[in-house]
Amino acid sequence: MGYQVRVDKDVCISSGKCVADAPAAFRFDDDEIAEPTTGASTLSGDLLVEIARNCPSGAIRLFEQGVEVAVD
Amino acid sequence: MTTTDPIVATFTISSFEAAKEVYRQKDLRQALYDEGEVVMGDVLVNLHGDEHRKRRRVENRIFRRETFDHYERDLFPQVTEVTVAPYVAAGGVDLVQLGHELMLNLAALTAGIDRPEGTAEETRRLYDYMQWFIKGATLAHSTEDKPALAARIQRALEEWDEEFLKPSVARRKTALAALEAGEITENDLPRDILTTLLRGNDELALPAFALRREIAFFLLASAHTSATAFVRSIDHILGWLADHPEDAERVTGDPMFVQRCVHETVRLNPSSPVGMRWALAPVSLKSGTEIPQGSKVVIDLHAVNRDPEVFGPDAAEFNPYRELPAGVGPFGLSFAAGIHVCIGQDLAAGVVPRADTAPEEHLFGLVPGAVRYMFNQGVRRDPADPPQRDAQTQRPYWGTYPALLG
Repeated sequence: MGYQVRVDKDVCISSGKCVADAPAAFRFDDDEIAEPTTGASTLSGDLLVEIARNCPSGAIRLFEQGVEVAVD
Repeated sequence: MTTTDPIVATFTISSFEAAKEVYRQKDLRQALYDEGEVVMGDVLVNLHGDEHRKRRRVENRIFRRETFDHYERDLFPQVTEVTVAPYVAAGGVDLVQLGHELMLNLAALTAGIDRPEGTAEETRRLYDYMQWFIKGATLAHSTEDKPALAARIQRALEEWDEEFLKPSVARRKTALAALEAGEITENDLPRDILTTLLRGNDELALPAFALRREIAFFLLASAHTSATAFVRSIDHILGWLADHPEDAERVTGDPMFVQRCVHETVRLNPSSPVGMRWALAPVSLKSGTEIPQGSKVVIDLHAVNRDPEVFGPDAAEFNPYRELPAGVGPFGLSFAAGIHVCIGQDLAAGVVPRADTAPEEHLFGLVPGAVRYMFNQGVRRDPADPPQRDAQTQRPYWGTYPALLG
C-alpha cells in the first residue's frame, strides 16, 4: 500500500537522489528543491521507504492515515 | 572550542544504528576538520545550517546523475586509458602513485582546473600542490610539525591559485559572458564545479579565498579518497582471488561484481577512520544517551562498519558476497549520512544496484571502473617488492604498492 509523501523543504539539500531514483514520483520545484508529484501515490510502500531511506538529509517523510511512518 | 580542551566531554559511537542517528542530528555540527582549517576552513563539509544548505543546493546542480553518466561514459574511459598506457608498456607501476595521478586527472576535470600546457611537468606541479592540500585536510592525523606544515600549505594554496585557479576562473568567466551574449550554448560550457560555483555566485557571494579553498577541497577530496580506495580495492581483490580463483573472470568481465568489491573495500576502509561532531544543543539519542551541549561526539567508523549486528559475525572480513539488511548500504557509513553525506558518492562509487538494475544503464562509479580496467591490464603484486605502509600519517594508507602489469 502506498503512503502520503511530504518533502520537508527546509531540510532538502537538493541531492536529487529521489528525482533520479523515481522520476515519475519526484521532481524539482522552481527553487530546485525536491517535491513529490501525483505519481508518488502509485509507488509501492516498500519502494517509498527505500527512497526515503536513501534521502541523505532525511527530508522525505511518509505518512499513513496522517501518522508518520518510521523509515529507519 | 578546541579538541585539546580537557573539560570537553567526548562520546564515542561504535554501533551502526547510533552512528546513523548521530549523522542525521541537526544539532550536531562538523568537527572533523578543526585542525585542518588551512584548507578546510569554510568548505562545504565544514558548513552548518542555512549556510551549508545554500552552498550544497548550488553545488548539487552539477552532482546529478546525468553529469555522472557523461563523466563515466564519455570522459573517464579515455583519461584512464591514456594515464595507464605508459605503465602497461613499462610492465609495472607503483599503484599508490598511479592512483593519485589517475584520480587527479579525473578530479581536475570535475573540479574545473585546466592544464592548458598539457605537459607531464604541468601535471606534476598540480600533483605536488594536491599533496599539500591532502596534508592540510588530514592535519589532525599528521606526525609532522603542525604549525610549520600549515604555513607551508597556505603558501602552496596561494601559489596554486596564481598558477592554476585564476586562469581557470578567467576562462570560465569568458565562457559565461559568451553564453550571456548568445554566442555559445549551455552545452558549450564546461560541466564542472568551478563553473557551477561561478554561475551560482549571485546566490553565494563567495570571496576569492573561499572559492580557492572550496575548489582545492574538491580537488583533494575527489582525488585522494578515490586514489586510496583504488589501491585498497585492488589489494583486497588480489587477496580474495588468492583464496577464490574461481572469481578471476568476474573481476575482468563483471562490472557489478567489481563494484561490489569496491563497496566492500570502502566499508572496511573508510576514508576517514572517524567522524566527529560538536553538540550545538543538548541531544538525546534513542539509546537513552544524553549528550550535553558543547560535547564532542566521535563516530568510530572502523567499529561502526564492522558492527556484527548489521554485517554479521564475519563483519571484519572482506566478502563481496555479504548479504545486507534492508536499508544498509554495502559501504556502511563510509560516505557518512545526513546533510554531510559525501556529495561525490555516486560519482566515485556508483549507484547501489537494485535487483532490477539493467547493467547497460547502471552507473558503476569511477573507482570501480578504474579498478576493473587495472584487472584487465593484468595487475598483480610484485613478489620481489612487497607493498609498504605510509609512515608519515597515523591513517592506514599504503606508502608504496609496486605492481606488475601485462
